[in-house]
Amino acid sequence: MKQVLIIGSGISGLTCAIETAKMGAKAILISPYQSERSQSVMAAGGINAVMPGSDTDDSVSLHIKETIDGGCNIAGERSVTALCGDAPHIIEWLESIGVVFTRDKSGGVARRAFGGQSRRRTVYAGASTGKQIVTALVQEARKWECRGYIERRLGLMFHSAFINDNVCYGALFYSERLKKLIPVFGDAVVVAAGGQNSLFGKTTGSALCDGYAAGKLFMQGVTLKNLEFIQYHPTTIETPQKRMLITEGARGDGGRLYYLDGGRRVYFMEELYGDRGNLMPRDIVSKCIYDAPSQVYLDITFLGSKKIKKNLGEVYDICSEYLGLDVTKESIPVAPSVHFFMGGIAVDIDHRTNIERLYAVGECASIYHGANRLGGNSLLAAVHSGRAAAQKIAQEPPVAKSPGFDGYIRGQEKIISGRLASKSRFPAVYIKNSLAKIMNEDLGILRTGEKLASGIESIDYYLSVSEKLLYDSDVSPYQGYSLHPMLTLGRAVLTCAQSRRETRGAHIRADYPQRSDDFEKCTLISYSGGRYEITYESED
Amino acid sequence: MLIKIKRQDDAVSKPYWQTFECEAAPDMTVSALLDKLNYSDDLFDTEGNPARRIRWECSCTQKMCGACAMVINGTPRLACAAFIRDIKNETLVLEPLSKFPVVSDLIVDRGIIEENLRRAEAYLGSYEQQSGRDFPQLYSAAKCLKCGLCLEVCPNYNSGESFFGALFANDMYLLFRQTADRSGELLGEYNKHFAAGCSKALSCVDVCPIGIDTLASMSEMNRRRRKQRK
Repeated sequence: MKQVLIIGSGISGLTCAIETAKMGAKAILISPYQSERSQSVMAAGGINAVMPGSDTDDSVSLHIKETIDGGCNIAGERSVTALCGDAPHIIEWLESIGVVFTRDKSGGVARRAFGGQSRRRTVYAGASTGKQIVTALVQEARKWECRGYIERRLGLMFHSAFINDNVCYGALFYSERLKKLIPVFGDAVVVAAGGQNSLFGKTTGSALCDGYAAGKLFMQGVTLKNLEFIQYHPTTIETPQKRMLITEGARGDGGRLYYLDGGRRVYFMEELYGDRGNLMPRDIVSKCIYDAPSQVYLDITFLGSKKIKKNLGEVYDICSEYLGLDVTKESIPVAPSVHFFMGGIAVDIDHRTNIERLYAVGECASIYHGANRLGGNSLLAAVHSGRAAAQKIAQEPPVAKSPGFDGYIRGQEKIISGRLASKSRFPAVYIKNSLAKIMNEDLGILRTGEKLASGIESIDYYLSVSEKLLYDSDVSPYQGYSLHPMLTLGRAVLTCAQSRRETRGAHIRADYPQRSDDFEKCTLISYSGGRYEITYESED
Repeated sequence: MLIKIKRQDDAVSKPYWQTFECEAAPDMTVSALLDKLNYSDDLFDTEGNPARRIRWECSCTQKMCGACAMVINGTPRLACAAFIRDIKNETLVLEPLSKFPVVSDLIVDRGIIEENLRRAEAYLGSYEQQSGRDFPQLYSAAKCLKCGLCLEVCPNYNSGESFFGALFANDMYLLFRQTADRSGELLGEYNKHFAAGCSKALSCVDVCPIGIDTLASMSEMNRRRRKQRK
């Protein structure tokens, strides 16, 4: 039986495993923790799809157009057409496996308005759509586990891929319990490792999404794409713990943004963009909040307690618990914060990378979203990409004989033993915190060539010392071995941002404030021997 | 604030206690405090001995993933939802969940939860849509974090060999109410691994961090059991 190795068990990894099983192959689903811990459970608002029997004048072609427009014209029409065309089938499938979607009065799936879209096409499950989807996918995957088509392996952290002569044969993992490296081979390898949150320290997402897999694969010859496009979600709250997300569903259901000018409420988004101002694409809303002269608030009080608790219960809970604020009576102080990575591993329409038999799905892959993602398109892309990769893999012949990686594994085992034996008290987290500071201060929401160059210089310094230092291995050797690839990824992000001398979507350059036709393409970046090489290409 | 932690180097070594001192603001959560402690330059206990950094499981830090479940001053809770302002004792006492094998310090292996669901073949089969009336309880049951707090607090749950606990009851309710063709099998597994062992202490309802109404799930399942018997 063909064996597909899937790294990461959030929504895209689970979907890929289920589709692989349905195709008659075996999926080995590997992750450090169970799916309930994945960042997918934090996705709140919904999933876009133009459903049959829609009561609006919506169409798939409009969904395609708005996705491309929202992404500022650099997403590929072919790939976006595949994504949006698959959306109604995805909702049908998710319903059939028991996702508890919110229903309308007729019993069909309810839809809410979301940013950058002229029609109500975001299907949702209260304000915990991601969690509801994960629960159903875990149950569906369990069926295939019982039948022997999916094998789950927990407690394994990704270390590196087995790549020889541009072909991938499997991957190496570190087991915390066994304190050793574990090789796993397969006919294809699918990376579903999530976004790059921890490059920026504590963001709205999970601490487990650190970009290490993308950074390591980049160093192993995998091409990355559009790294400069990092989405700042407009409405997040500051808590002593971390920044937390207030779902776009709050504005989709009618929430209004304002700031105070001498006691008078200024509904600045409505003043700038009319009735639908609060639901402009996220890049635009975030920039407007950033430019606002004083603290911006989100008001949902007028929706009434009943509707808030029914449709936005999680918003009510988070604000009440972490801010001591009753959103049925008071406005929520909000600010933009790093939320989603449009960039990542470059893939084609079938989710193949530039390395044969290596695929990437979910947030770690870069496709569909261009320079700015529409709310509701990330859950859609997670499910679609998992299915697309599995279907393509099913068409491929089984892998030829592996060239053998014993020498490589022995070399890496020696390095890990050295890390485990380290008596150093210096935590790798210190340098990771410095990296986060550089990324937040020198990249940020508003960028300049000068700051980006300064950030690159700082990261280059850490890169020059990071492999020479010994680290405290008390927490995990992963902290040590993940550092250099994370720094390399950070350096690549800054390099992409420095090279794109224009303003487009989430990439806002104070020194190049206009959009330029010369840059109406995707950024591709590759790495070889410490050199970062950038080219620009169309997605299709 | 004094923080007393039950520690264990790895899965096979013996546990021991270690106490630390750290400044804590009232609005901090226990997870934020653990972060603060771990990111100090060098970690020393209150007797001045150098100490390993504290290992604990963490992902979302906002009550959505269940990773940071532990016993806090004798009560099973999520560290990310336990605020310092609510800690009444002078010393904060942290222990790993006691009903799962310890991996290291506050990290436990909760693999038995999924293993038992697999043993019971807890999956849907064909789907049948329910009326809107069922939505709140289905939605709530599907939010289960699989954190294990309900198992930790349950007087009937030990190692999970035959009685699978409240999270199992909720999952079985969720599947049972939506399946078109496996209701008999699911009800059988519910009877075998939950109904037969639950003494209705209902401590699971109070401890659930997201407030799943397990009693409502049980009531529905028990109603169906009675119907089946007739």
